[in-house]
Amino acid sequence: MKFIPKKPREGINVSDVHPLVEAGTLVVGLTAIFAIIALALIFIIEIALYFVPAEAEAKLFSGWLPEDLVTVSPADERLYQTQLLVDRLASHWAEAPYEFRVEIDDSDLSNAMALPGGLIIVTQGLLDQVESENELAFVLGHELGHFRNRDHLRALGRGIMISLFFAVLTGNDVAGLGIKTADITLRGFSREQESRADEFGLAVVYAEYGHVNQASRLFERWQATNGDASRFVSYLSTHPEAGDRVANLRAIALRDGWETEGEITGLSW
Amino acid sequence: MENLGLLFDFGLPLLILMIAYFIGSAIEKRHFANIRKREDDLHGFPVVSFDTMPDDWKVSSSNLVTGSIVISLDYFKRVIAGLRGLIGGRIKTYEPLLERARREALLRMTESAREQGYDAIFNVRLETSRLANATRDGKGTAGVEMLAFGTAVKFASRFG
Repeated sequence: MKFIPKKPREGINVSDVHPLVEAGTLVVGLTAIFAIIALALIFIIEIALYFVPAEAEAKLFSGWLPEDLVTVSPADERLYQTQLLVDRLASHWAEAPYEFRVEIDDSDLSNAMALPGGLIIVTQGLLDQVESENELAFVLGHELGHFRNRDHLRALGRGIMISLFFAVLTGNDVAGLGIKTADITLRGFSREQESRADEFGLAVVYAEYGHVNQASRLFERWQATNGDASRFVSYLSTHPEAGDRVANLRAIALRDGWETEGEITGLSW
Repeated sequence: MENLGLLFDFGLPLLILMIAYFIGSAIEKRHFANIRKREDDLHGFPVVSFDTMPDDWKVSSSNLVTGSIVISLDYFKRVIAGLRGLIGGRIKTYEPLLERARREALLRMTESAREQGYDAIFNVRLETSRLANATRDGKGTAGVEMLAFGTAVKFASRFG
């Protein structure tokens, strides 16, 4: 047998595709697939909302809490008082299908959230900032508005989608996903959903107190103290900018002829 | 301010990805050039995978020779491979990497045999193993090892 030296042949084990072409194809293709899945999910949620009445949702999620929520002690006076306030406000929504539950999240960020099954989460940061019951009542009424329009379920779908997207990108185990508050803070409502919730919130406040004085005062203060800084916060936050909301609320009160002057109720803690 | 947040969230990973791509490609190009040059140098040195020696090889001594390389993926390759992993198919960004590893391991083995005065290598085998990364519970890959080994022989008299 004769040994004939040969050089290794190239191009057999390596695909002749430029890495950037490969990267581009994958990114564009996967984005398209992801967009299709997202649209399908939005569609499915709309169908589910149509067929699953709020009563069934309330039953399904009764007693449910997000996985990583850090709640305050059940004996906390503020928790008790906030729950009482929610119950009072909810009494103006006669056919409310939910039994609203309040939990206080141990977070310094100022926020409130509406979650499936009538769960309202308020942060410590928010309770530290409100100066009167009227201010808090509007925030809670606003969350009630989200329940009424069932925005919280739509947002949940979006939250699931976002966490799925990040799980895929970072290579985490998709099966091990739970609903975490981190996902909830990532989700947002549309501007239209927000202003409809604001409108309902204001109506509830008017029904409870007979005037809408100080309903938007929390946002006015944010606007005054934060100035430009609030823009950065609004990038991260789930709610629209304070200035827009204050103007919007004034317009609603003016349109419906609601009294903007009236006695302020102090906080009960 | 809003744009600044977006820049940090998306721009920074993109920048790292680009840097990884440019450095990774430059290193890969240089390595391939180097491999081809050394293969030219060794041209004519018999390296075969027969597990028994050809009958006409009369040898005076033999020994085990090995050559190994540990090679790491760059961030760009890893990200693209991760995307590929979602839908399956040829991981095209890994192919040149493993090609480099195979040829480099064979070269190191052959160079070591030549340095020790051997004339040929038979029964050549390639082995590969993954080096787990200590982070992410050992799920990550720090790199791969490619090991080439074979039996180097010295001819009693020049053949052919």
